[in-house]
Amino acid sequence: MNKLESIEFFEKFSYGMTLFSESADFSVGTTPSEIVYTEDKLKLIHYIPTVKKTHAVPILVVYALVNRYYILDLQPDKSMMKNLLDEGFDVYVIDWGYPSGIGKYLTIDDHVNGYINNAVDKIRERTGVDKITLLGVCQGGTFSIMYAALHPEKVKNLITLVAPVNFDTDKGLLHVWARKLDVDKIVDYYGIVPGDVLNSGFLLADPFRTMIDKYVDLIERIEIKPGDEESQRKNEEMIRNFLRMEKWIFDSPDQPGETLRQFVKDCYQNNLLIKNEMILNGQKINLKNITMPLLNVMAEFDHLVPNEASKPLNIAVASLDKQTLVFRTGHIGIFVGSKSQKEVCPKIAEWLRPRSVLDEAIKPKFVSDEAIKPKFVSDEAIKPKFVSDEVKTEKPSPAKPREQRRTTTQGRAQ
Amino acid sequence: MESFGSENTQDFFSLWSRIYQDSLGKLVTMPTLGPKREESEKMMKGFSTFLNFYSDLMKSNVNFQSVFMKAMGKMSEKTITETDNDNSHEKYRAFYKIWIETCSETFNEFLKSELFSSENGKLMSSYMDFQKYSKDMFEENYLKPMNLPTKTDIDEINKELYILRKTVKELAKQIKEISEKNNTAAVKPLE
Repeated sequence: MNKLESIEFFEKFSYGMTLFSESADFSVGTTPSEIVYTEDKLKLIHYIPTVKKTHAVPILVVYALVNRYYILDLQPDKSMMKNLLDEGFDVYVIDWGYPSGIGKYLTIDDHVNGYINNAVDKIRERTGVDKITLLGVCQGGTFSIMYAALHPEKVKNLITLVAPVNFDTDKGLLHVWARKLDVDKIVDYYGIVPGDVLNSGFLLADPFRTMIDKYVDLIERIEIKPGDEESQRKNEEMIRNFLRMEKWIFDSPDQPGETLRQFVKDCYQNNLLIKNEMILNGQKINLKNITMPLLNVMAEFDHLVPNEASKPLNIAVASLDKQTLVFRTGHIGIFVGSKSQKEVCPKIAEWLRPRSVLDEAIKPKFVSDEAIKPKFVSDEAIKPKFVSDEVKTEKPSPAKPREQRRTTTQGRAQ
Repeated sequence: MESFGSENTQDFFSLWSRIYQDSLGKLVTMPTLGPKREESEKMMKGFSTFLNFYSDLMKSNVNFQSVFMKAMGKMSEKTITETDNDNSHEKYRAFYKIWIETCSETFNEFLKSELFSSENGKLMSSYMDFQKYSKDMFEENYLKPMNLPTKTDIDEINKELYILRKTVKELAKQIKEISEKNNTAAVKPLE
């Protein structure tokens, strides 16, 4: 590196430091919302609709316990929530919060049959509909699958986004590592397992990229054009976007011990869920109880939840109306990448729109896999037969009055 | 099992552990006598717990060091022809790219190996054993004599709270259901 280039690098570095020091004020999760229900650490958040009349069936988004839900609403131009609102949906999300004290003893049953069920009931009560759409993301997707199998009468549509259901695969490092992990010792010692312990595992999955290369890349992307306001604005925006993502990555809530214990043992080590052998509070989870329309969304380059972990869901369920979408992106890219905004959300909305009606008269057309996803890699083996389950559509219950209680959380910064 | 060039060091540590267990290890785990026997036994057990952890930690360090050396070896092969005494900025950029790619590739190969998951599992276990031992000793020797609450005490209270809260939620749900039924019955017209 000659002198001039060294100076340029250090100039970029020092300029980057200045930008950093001026970028402390950035926010995440800015889509206007209200808290409509709380229970222990859980908050049920309702996003304020952006259209006058929303589709009749509301969506409940269930995110994982690891990391925070606001990755789906990271910034205004990268917000799955905002996209769904703009598509005319009524959207709710569960914020699990940060466990403490008794959180150690919370089980998967408490999350699925307790918190998720209560949140679903609250939405049903507020909107007056019998069934809702459940959109589960990552581990939240696995919980949603469990919930849909245990309470199919409350779920109109099930959408799983990068959600593992078959844990017997060598494609993902977490799957390989978890097999040799003595989770009892970890949970017995910590009780509530620090988020950093899990985070170190995620970082270790690709250490050089996640701990070195992304920071070097950030410096490289800084443009130095003195006096150019546009370039200055771009640099500032880039740094703020980087910081939002950085905040999300390291904002890792601690894990409820008993939940983690059961998740590792029953799912990662014994793969009970896909075998219909997993038990919650004495009740066996039978995936054949899932008969509602299913959309299984995956990321082709997902290093945390490989496609092999998600695909078998379509075979395991009894739904006749089921579809798989695979996007050429990664585990995080599917929420925040440019593809997410341009392709993932519109395709989910396209699938969901005709299935979000209550009136039997307005039946959704079961368009074929081919018609809906020209650009996506499809799983030919698990293509749905598109036999409409609308023939068994039940009558919607009379609408109950909507609750008016509104506690604003607009501009919420976690 | 995959080879990452650390077999000799692994053998050394395994041999060392075996020798320790057959010699000094036996001494520290032998039953103790006298009024302080309970405390002494716990204290002595901690020595083995620490050594197990230390041994696993060393094995892990050696593994990572071996993989790093392997990555460096691959790198020198890749760069020897490309750098060619050229000190330009682009060459440095290319050098960095090769470094990141080679290290990522080599480490990923190691991280997905059976050897890593097995050794990592052992390291986590012995670390947890050691941490638990340290916590127990701290509670036993410092908190309890000073009559201060321990984590074990707090856990017990938390468990009680968890059960109570669950019971209250269940009862509240039942009351709600019963009162809803009663309300429905109350508004039914008399036949």
